[in-house]
Amino acid sequence: MGAWSAISGWLAGFGAASPWALWLLPLALLPLAASGRRRAAVAALSAAPPDPVSRWIARALTLAGILALAGLILALAGPYRAGERITRIGVGAQISMLIDRSGSMNETFAGRQPSGAEESKAAASKRLLAGFVGARSHDLFAVTAFSTAPMLVMPMTDRHDAVRAAIAATDRPGLDYTNVARGLGMALSQFGDESGVSRVLLFISDGAAVIDPRMQDALRAAFARIHPNLYWLFLRTKGAPSIYDRPPGEDTPQAAPERHLDLFFKSLGLPYRAFEAEGPQQVADAIARIEALERDPIPYTEVRPRRDLTGACLALAALGLAVLALAALAEADLSARRRTVERASPVSAEQIRRAA
Amino acid sequence: MTGAPPAEIVYLPRWRPRGSRPGAHRGRDPGGLGTFRDQVPFLALPDARRIDLRATLRDPFEGVHVRRFEARAPVEVWALVDLSASMGFRGTADRIDLARDLCAGLAASATRIGDGFGLIGCDRAIRADLYLPATRRRAAALAAAARLADAPRAARSAEGMLDAARRLAGRPKLVFLVSDFRWPEPLVARVFAALALHDTVPVLLADSAEDAGLPDWGLAELDDLEGGGRRVVFLRPALRRRWIAREHARRDALRRAAGAAGARAPFHLVDRFDADALSRHLLAT
Repeated sequence: MGAWSAISGWLAGFGAASPWALWLLPLALLPLAASGRRRAAVAALSAAPPDPVSRWIARALTLAGILALAGLILALAGPYRAGERITRIGVGAQISMLIDRSGSMNETFAGRQPSGAEESKAAASKRLLAGFVGARSHDLFAVTAFSTAPMLVMPMTDRHDAVRAAIAATDRPGLDYTNVARGLGMALSQFGDESGVSRVLLFISDGAAVIDPRMQDALRAAFARIHPNLYWLFLRTKGAPSIYDRPPGEDTPQAAPERHLDLFFKSLGLPYRAFEAEGPQQVADAIARIEALERDPIPYTEVRPRRDLTGACLALAALGLAVLALAALAEADLSARRRTVERASPVSAEQIRRAA
Repeated sequence: MTGAPPAEIVYLPRWRPRGSRPGAHRGRDPGGLGTFRDQVPFLALPDARRIDLRATLRDPFEGVHVRRFEARAPVEVWALVDLSASMGFRGTADRIDLARDLCAGLAASATRIGDGFGLIGCDRAIRADLYLPATRRRAAALAAAARLADAPRAARSAEGMLDAARRLAGRPKLVFLVSDFRWPEPLVARVFAALALHDTVPVLLADSAEDAGLPDWGLAELDDLEGGGRRVVFLRPALRRRWIAREHARRDALRRAAGAAGARAPFHLVDRFDADALSRHLLAT
């Protein structure tokens, strides 16, 4: 019964455009009873010696006939395999990207407006992230941008083309402010509810801002619930303070927001790494390292579209018909009258009678 | 054969027929006319017309001798024709046409010299419509032979041959057993045994399309005329050799079966009825 249900389950994935044609399917058994070949009537079958080769050919021809008829009838019914979503396990992660869209992202790493061959931070990160998106086929990506307010650019999806397009859109001239807290909140909300999935929050910015204590509590709760791996790719402009620099004066969040954001991230108790990049090459290195770190299995959904199987059925029928056509070409005509006229014997009846 | 005169077949019975009716064959009983046979004392055959003067004078004991002559007596020629479905085979020739030509030849040849010709067609049993008691009337014999060609052939066995053999009880007869002998081995032996008293001539109707005429290569679907089903055969030189060897083996087996029952060697009627070949065969065996 297990096998039966397995077969019926497998068959459930198929359909036919005009199922009534399937009622003709018993006709496919016709070659068992009859054949279209020319028959040579013989006095006794036992005259032909037993021959295994012929027996196999006969079976093959019967099978070809069944195949041809069944293929044609199935093709008539217009079969298809129904589209479905298949969940598979691959290597990858759910990656939520949070990209800074503040005005400073439009500057180069040297802190100037890009000119000539120079590349802005946004362009560099766009270029490198686009490569990152295509590298592994089973990653899910979400893209969130933020400046003053967070912007949901692309929800979690496995359509990498869409993700790349979303990333490509992030190098438009940005707005001014950097509101990290709300951006983080939206980026966290991009993750779904599935368990057993490796989650990555990739935070790309060239600066930081103060997160006020009330928002800090909410973020902590969200981080604790979702528990992502957190990577901060800090695009440091030349001369700007590093994450690790203590400010010369008072060590307050207002004086060194980068350092305090880093401390906040460290205090979350998550797997967290910060990458400080001062040029496109370093950005590339950092992304490569992130890619190498995220090698966990992930269930992903593959959408298999409805597929028309008429061609396959016709191909089967053509195969059967080709075999039958070959057999027809190889047909020998046993009843061909090969008249080997023997000369009448010169001895006439009269001579014989005389001899008798 | 319609129109053309039937071919003439010359045959010699193996035995000396009895009977006082004049016929064409050397009889066993002495009679008044015919070939000189021997001399017997006058007291044994008191026939004063045939006193052999020279032998009487030569006898030192002065006995009177009478010449005795062989009477010539007629025989009955019977054709037992298999009408089972396999006789419907058409190869180089139509098998039933061969049988008809043969029977027409026999009918003409037998009635021409005063022998009776009888015909029994049989499949599963004797076919009443194709039964002809031995007759010396040429027209009746030829008509019976001609009827063969239209005889339906549907039955799947030739068991009727045994009944036909039983019906031939009595004096020895010259029996032509006309068939393709596509019979089970035991039936062949039983029919020959049932005909052991007669001078039996098996006539094997064969066709070159069945062995020598087979193509070297090709695919053929064989359909058994006697309802044995269908079979696909892939012909190739090796199979063709085996096929022909099998046919030869079958003919050998038939010859052995005929010999074991005292019948003559089978005559192979292949493709075309050749009366002269049959005559030679009948004189030689």
